[in-house]
Amino acid sequence: MDNISLVLQSLISGISIGCVYGLIGIGFCVIYNASGIVNFAQGAFVMIGGMATSVLMTDFQLPYAAAAIGAIIIAGIVGAAVERLVVRPLWNRNVAIFVMILATLAAQIVIERMAYILVGDQPKTLPPVSDLPPMMLGGVAVNIQSLWILASSLIIIAALNVFFKTSRTGKAMRAVSINAEAAVLQGIPVSRMLTLAFVISAMLGAIAGILLTPTQYTAFNVGVPFAISGFIAAIIGGFGRPLGAFIGGIALGVIQSMAILELGAGFKNVAALSLLLLFLFFRPSGLLGSTR
Amino acid sequence: MSAILEVKNATRSFGGLVAVNDVSFSVPSRGVTAVIGPNGAGKTTLFNVIAGTISANGGTILLNGEDVTDFKPEAKAAKGLVRTFQLVKLFQDLTAAENVKVGFHLKTHGGLFAALFQPAWARAAERNSEKTAADLLDLVGLSKVAQTSASILPYGQQRLLEIARALACQPSILLLDEPAAGLNAEESERLARAIRRIAADGTAVLLIEHDMKLVMDIADDVVVLDYGRKIAHGTPDAVRNDPAVLAAYLG
Amino acid sequence: MTSSPSTTLPEARSAVQTTRLPLATAAVWAVSAAIVGYALIFGGYAATIISFALIYAVFVSGLNVFMGLTAQVSFGQSAFAAIGGYSSAVLTTTYAWPPLAGMSAGLVFSLLAAWAIGFPTLRLKGHYLAMATLAIGLITYEIAVEWESVTQGYLGISGIPPLGIGPFEAVSDRQILVVLSVVVLVIAFAVKRIQHSRLGRSFAAVAGSEEAAATLGINVARTKLVSFLLAAGLASISGSLFVHVVGYVSPEVFGLHMVILAFSMVYIGGLGTVAGPLIGALIVSILPEVFRGMKDSQDLAYGIALILILIYAPKGIAGVAGAFDARRAA
Repeated sequence: MDNISLVLQSLISGISIGCVYGLIGIGFCVIYNASGIVNFAQGAFVMIGGMATSVLMTDFQLPYAAAAIGAIIIAGIVGAAVERLVVRPLWNRNVAIFVMILATLAAQIVIERMAYILVGDQPKTLPPVSDLPPMMLGGVAVNIQSLWILASSLIIIAALNVFFKTSRTGKAMRAVSINAEAAVLQGIPVSRMLTLAFVISAMLGAIAGILLTPTQYTAFNVGVPFAISGFIAAIIGGFGRPLGAFIGGIALGVIQSMAILELGAGFKNVAALSLLLLFLFFRPSGLLGSTR
Repeated sequence: MSAILEVKNATRSFGGLVAVNDVSFSVPSRGVTAVIGPNGAGKTTLFNVIAGTISANGGTILLNGEDVTDFKPEAKAAKGLVRTFQLVKLFQDLTAAENVKVGFHLKTHGGLFAALFQPAWARAAERNSEKTAADLLDLVGLSKVAQTSASILPYGQQRLLEIARALACQPSILLLDEPAAGLNAEESERLARAIRRIAADGTAVLLIEHDMKLVMDIADDVVVLDYGRKIAHGTPDAVRNDPAVLAAYLG
Repeated sequence: MTSSPSTTLPEARSAVQTTRLPLATAAVWAVSAAIVGYALIFGGYAATIISFALIYAVFVSGLNVFMGLTAQVSFGQSAFAAIGGYSSAVLTTTYAWPPLAGMSAGLVFSLLAAWAIGFPTLRLKGHYLAMATLAIGLITYEIAVEWESVTQGYLGISGIPPLGIGPFEAVSDRQILVVLSVVVLVIAFAVKRIQHSRLGRSFAAVAGSEEAAATLGINVARTKLVSFLLAAGLASISGSLFVHVVGYVSPEVFGLHMVILAFSMVYIGGLGTVAGPLIGALIVSILPEVFRGMKDSQDLAYGIALILILIYAPKGIAGVAGAFDARRAA
């Protein structure tokens, strides 16, 4: 019985961290669909989410919700800056794909280091969203933050879905992802769509960071591992498929927490990376089939 | 005269669309054979099936009597069938001469050891490549730009360079995919001369082409496709007056 | 062969072989020599920095063959540096092998690993290839951390003997510097020869168009694998050199930081050039010393520099020099 509840407990924590990976993975998809670019600075936005919220709460005495919204806006601005200053000049020159990967990775380092200079290297955390004891579900303790993560992710995915299916801008972005040239002919401002994609993607990353920080911590250098997890989620689901990325994120979260349970915490990364290689070698188009 | 290439009942469909439908013809081991047809007739698909770039759904391709239907492009090249591309695919970072030298890949050998230690035989092979590349560039009229990077050559010269590179493989049959596309009249004339030279030197040439003047000038044999089917096959004069061909082009 | 026309002009072609001296490229070599020479004369700390730069130049040369000559991408070359480094470290300490034997064994292990990894990995393209190779590098790092019975985990292995053959050992700063300079020159010479060989042309063909390369009878998969093996081999040698020069190894040496540093070097130096890896490694290694006052913002400055280079000088230093010489010769 103890064993089963232990398994269930890590299953639930796996699902909740998986939702966060999913959100990061969706961030990859949004940019990829708009441009074919894989943005390796994605992890920086996750870091900014948790970090800026924490700084706004402690140093500026803002209430939790206001700090969170402020952090999401800051991340959006940084996202636009990355697109304008780093990605755009290279995109216009039609550079090789690994030049873009390297440039966004460099942007990641720059953002990371700026955060280090601004807030130092001390890890920061956030209080849980609601200060309740874990809920007991049939002998399994469920962390309330896990429920928050689950609920928020589902709401965000629903909202994204509405945005892409019904709003004018969302439809235009989908048109660009299907055929950029045709979209230009229809008068859709393709270049503005790319900026917008970075802003949305950065905000998604920031939300992921805010949801995640209460259960873990944030520091200037947490970005890269989260970006890699988000990327793996996107690959598992089929690159460019937001729903796939979410499913992939949950799969990754669950497999990781099972690996921790069975093999020890040291194998967390090895399990995730091996899963990535398995998909790349045997099913590179992922569960749902990639978009390009 | 024996056939170097025989296409037997070649068929290729994409989803519901049958792009090449039961096409059969043979290419003699000397001379120029042209495949023509209106847009969407299936010429390019047929060409890609023969070259091994895409696989056939049915039928066989015989090269010198050997079944090469499922061979990959590099295996077909080793058997003497080499193609060019409609959209030129040169090695941009290399000079014109180096591009041609890549074409000697199959006819030369040597890997890391030869590269690092340059034994006498490798030096001799390199000198020979150098000289033969110069001859081939001369054949297509590109001697002057031998040391120019392929990326900055004008389009017409890029096409001619691609043909020289393909010839470096010493193919027994050379496939040209719309070689005159994008060439001006003078370049087109130079191309026609080059193709005639190549054929006269004993290499069979199979080309698909839109430029009717070029086809009528240089082809010994013309295959006409329409809606994926072969509708005529004969000398340029015979094909020109074939009612089915006239109907396909005018209708 | 088609009959050769009698109108060719051999002297016109041989004239091209003796173009004017490529001054700008010569200048790049001269600057590199001056930097190494400075370190040789003054020794001490300068020699240490330049030794690290030369070891990196070996690693970057491999990356340059794979990325510059063959236009593939690997974010995981650190894996082979780790295999080489740890093989040398373990074999020379625990088993008391001579350094050269340990280095050779590491090379063999790296090539075997690269061969096994290369088959499934090199079929991938674009960001799939980038990610798969990155994953391989990160997994190797994790193995170095977790396989404590062999690698001693985070603690690392110390007491690794210096470079040497029989009774001759490179112990002093200057001896090490000379040995490394010779290694780097030999590798640059080898890369130059490869570039203008049948093998090098097949690399360039795969880089230019895989489809066209296949049409000319080039086995694309095999060509990529050969290039990957060369890169892995050089990475392995650089890993071995590192552990012998420093006398110590830990997983941190072969982390993501190494990969990003190496990428900066290959881009700043000039992708696909012979002199690029050396000048790139030297400059990227010296810059932090020039800006020592701003210790905290070193990585920041270097991230910004990398972005600026990628945007404004994508050919790198040696690439710009080569283009300059080409224009003078034309």
